[in-house]
Amino acid sequence: MARQAKPVDILQGTLNMMILRVLQQGPANGYEIAKYIEQRSDDLLQVEHGSLYPALRRLEAKALIKAEWRVSQTNRRARYYALTAAGKKQVVVERSHWKTLVQAIARVMRPI
Amino acid sequence: MGPRDLPDEIDYHFAVLKDERIAMGDTPEQADAFARRRLGSRTAIGEAVYETRPLHVLDAGVRDARLAIRTLRRNKAAYVAAAVILALGIGMSVAMFSLVEAVLLRPLPFPRQQSIQVIWKVDPLAGSHVEELAYPELRDIEEGIPDFEYVAVMPTSLYGYARVLQTGKAELVQIESAPVSHDFFRVLGVKPALGRDFTSDDERVGAPPVVVISDAVWHDRLGADPNIVGRVIRLKGQGYTVIGVMAAGAEFPRGAGLWIPLGVERAIVDRRGATFLQAIARAKPGVSRDRIAVQVNALFARLAADHPEAYTRSQRGVVTPLVEYWTGSARLHLWIMLGASLLLLIASIISAGNLLLSRTLSRRVEIATRMALGARRRQVLSQLGVEGILVAIMAATAGLCVAQLAIRFLVRWAPGDIPRLPQAALDAGSFCFAAGAAALAAVACTVISGWAATRVNLESALREGGVRLSWSQRAGRTKNIFMLAQAAVTVMLLALAALLVLSYRAMMSSDIGFTNRDALTMNLQLRGPGLFGAQAFDPKFRRSFYTQLLDRLRASPRVTSAAAVLLRPLEGTIGWDVSYEFEFEAGGKDHRVLPKTNYEVVTPDYLKTVGTPLLEGRDFDAHDSESGEPVAIISESLAQRIRAAGHAPLGSRLRLGLGGPRWSKVIGICADARYRSITQKGADIFVPYLQASQPTNYVVIRGTQSAGELAALVRRTLAAIDSNQSVGGVATIGELIDANSARHRFNMLLLLWFGACAALLAVSGVYSVITETMAARDHEIAIKIALGAQRFRLVREMVSRTLVFVLAGESIGALMLCAFGKLGADLLYGISPRDPLVLGSVAAFLFMVSLGAAFWPAWSAAGYDPKHSLRVS
Repeated sequence: MARQAKPVDILQGTLNMMILRVLQQGPANGYEIAKYIEQRSDDLLQVEHGSLYPALRRLEAKALIKAEWRVSQTNRRARYYALTAAGKKQVVVERSHWKTLVQAIARVMRPI
Repeated sequence: MGPRDLPDEIDYHFAVLKDERIAMGDTPEQADAFARRRLGSRTAIGEAVYETRPLHVLDAGVRDARLAIRTLRRNKAAYVAAAVILALGIGMSVAMFSLVEAVLLRPLPFPRQQSIQVIWKVDPLAGSHVEELAYPELRDIEEGIPDFEYVAVMPTSLYGYARVLQTGKAELVQIESAPVSHDFFRVLGVKPALGRDFTSDDERVGAPPVVVISDAVWHDRLGADPNIVGRVIRLKGQGYTVIGVMAAGAEFPRGAGLWIPLGVERAIVDRRGATFLQAIARAKPGVSRDRIAVQVNALFARLAADHPEAYTRSQRGVVTPLVEYWTGSARLHLWIMLGASLLLLIASIISAGNLLLSRTLSRRVEIATRMALGARRRQVLSQLGVEGILVAIMAATAGLCVAQLAIRFLVRWAPGDIPRLPQAALDAGSFCFAAGAAALAAVACTVISGWAATRVNLESALREGGVRLSWSQRAGRTKNIFMLAQAAVTVMLLALAALLVLSYRAMMSSDIGFTNRDALTMNLQLRGPGLFGAQAFDPKFRRSFYTQLLDRLRASPRVTSAAAVLLRPLEGTIGWDVSYEFEFEAGGKDHRVLPKTNYEVVTPDYLKTVGTPLLEGRDFDAHDSESGEPVAIISESLAQRIRAAGHAPLGSRLRLGLGGPRWSKVIGICADARYRSITQKGADIFVPYLQASQPTNYVVIRGTQSAGELAALVRRTLAAIDSNQSVGGVATIGELIDANSARHRFNMLLLLWFGACAALLAVSGVYSVITETMAARDHEIAIKIALGAQRFRLVREMVSRTLVFVLAGESIGALMLCAFGKLGADLLYGISPRDPLVLGSVAAFLFMVSLGAAFWPAWSAAGYDPKHSLRVS
């Protein structure tokens, strides 16, 4: 299999967190989630769209999100994801983890 | 939410991405390409999503299995052959495992069986194998060793205690019985299913006779009468009250159907000289065997000091766990046979692995293609693994069928002296064993070869193409290692088989001292009431009875000779031993240790009837009677001892027992005969029946009639004299010898079969390796031939490369055998397990056969027309 090098721009393990964050604003489909991440990062983060789906399935399996088929704004059938109650709690937890982590890394990385 | 939704979802994503680009002014083609790039491969997404599912491993298994079945169908011959080879190995080892399990591993029906110990003594100085205990030692042990919970005594052999049960029906039945002291069943930890156990009241001199019967006797002989307890049954004409029916399966000693209290005769309860017993004791929980052995030896040493008239100081206690006592030497034999069958299993796994490796290698183009198309190594390996598991499942199933047949065959064919063998059957343990063996086979067969096959250079594999690929350095090395291991295993099995054949031959051709295989022997013990039935009659009566019987038999024109003996040859490992001293060495210390040897009481003509040659002097005759001078016949090795001391054996005098009552004159010297077992040398002392207090218990007869007619003649003659007596255990000397060597014959045939299978597998392995080498290198060979290489030199080069590994394997096998051969020394007779001639000839044999198997394909390959094979490629 011709495996391409993964884009390094998304930190390992942060995709799930970002998906949850996006869904905090309301239900979205896969395309919308990818677009939203790219836009919110001012296109600094390049999401490999394909890699969203395994992540979504994993979150679904953990019951952090739920999915249903709906008609999109462009009048197509799309699968929309939304946070479950557990998912909503998880976003809060992950965000505080993330904050701590970023602060810690920032301290390490500050100029000497 | 399953993966079924995924394609639609991806379609949507794809479409939206495309729309976005078109809206930005791209052509549909450009938009398409962009969306594709952005999203990545659909298959990859599918697989990634697929792997997020918890059960995806199982699903992949199903997929691989489907593929495996398809390839299996395509490569039917190889897989079936592999499965058959494995089935053979698995079947034989499962069968042997079932025997081991039934005989050795399954617990005995006695709770806390490891606490039960059987105790007797040996006297290395006297050269005796077993020194029996006397009844008074029961109390010594009970009082001297507080670590025992219960102690009982029982006879060392069942011989002589059989009782005739008179049920009122016409036919008398002889039932083995065991006189035991009253704690016997408490030692074993079993309770009667009906009625009660013995108490100390049952075992005192003059107590009313009681009996405990076995479950089998109760069912078979007494119609499972529920009111049997309290009833009186007649044994040997005496009434015994049945006090209990023992639980099923508790027949100990083996074969016993009745148990009666032992200490009811004044003749034995106080006499330290009446040694015919062994002790059996149950240790308190947590007391180790070593500790018991120390205590037992301390006790015996103390007793020897207290009773110098009864015991010698050189006696040592022997403490054997009941479990080992129960199986005896069958234990070691069965483990060795299991080991041999495991070697066969290994050989078959190697063979099957070799076969499948060839298959896998020839599929390297397929594998390389799959890998080029994106299959991961793990996937290829797991597919190969599933193929291996399928083969292993087939092999295990077929192997269990083989095992079922083999068990039936082995049980019927095995010597009868291995306890619990007939209970061998396939059970959960055998299934686990088969599954384990099959799993091992699956791993060995596929994963190893698959590993070799997937580590290929894709490019070169695809570029080269064709059959030439089937050979790679790595695979060649793997196959050579397979061949080496197989040669090692095969040499071990073949050498074991050869050793067993040679020792069987030695056993059969050794002079065991009985040349008349047709002489018919049978037990005719005069039975009266009392514990020792035969002793209920006075010796005078017994002698006259036998005289009368033999005279009548000899009078028949069809009878060549008839005689009687105390204990017939090969009746058991425990016989009648007597200590003796010659006149020239008598005197000296009061309590010397006298040597012991086999003791036989015989009638005139006995030696002639069984065919033990009389070397010097004369046989007994009618004049050697009560009133005549005491005489004896000794066997050759005793005569040599006398000669070595500078005396003439004939006419010298000996006496039995230390300070025995009278001297007997040696009037004859006969050949040594092996009375205990055909592999155990020994010397014998014979005394005439009219001068001995011990009875003659066996009739020995030769005639011009068949064995059956002779036996009938004895029965008729006997009935005419006393209708209350019966004969049992009718067998010719030849049958006794065969029975005695049955286990050895069994071991030998089994190993011959294992060895033959292993040799066949090894040879076919060498053949296939050479054939493949030649096929893989036919291009190279063709070029060499075209350049003028000599056929013979080519062949030599090919063959020697392979045979080096066979030789190396053989050396490893021979070394292993030398290292571990000692374990099997007990199986062998007259030959060392390291016999260089055997090892050498077996190795040479295997080498020659391998050479043949290698030479033939190499020779024909080297003879091809080079044009042909060069043109093809």
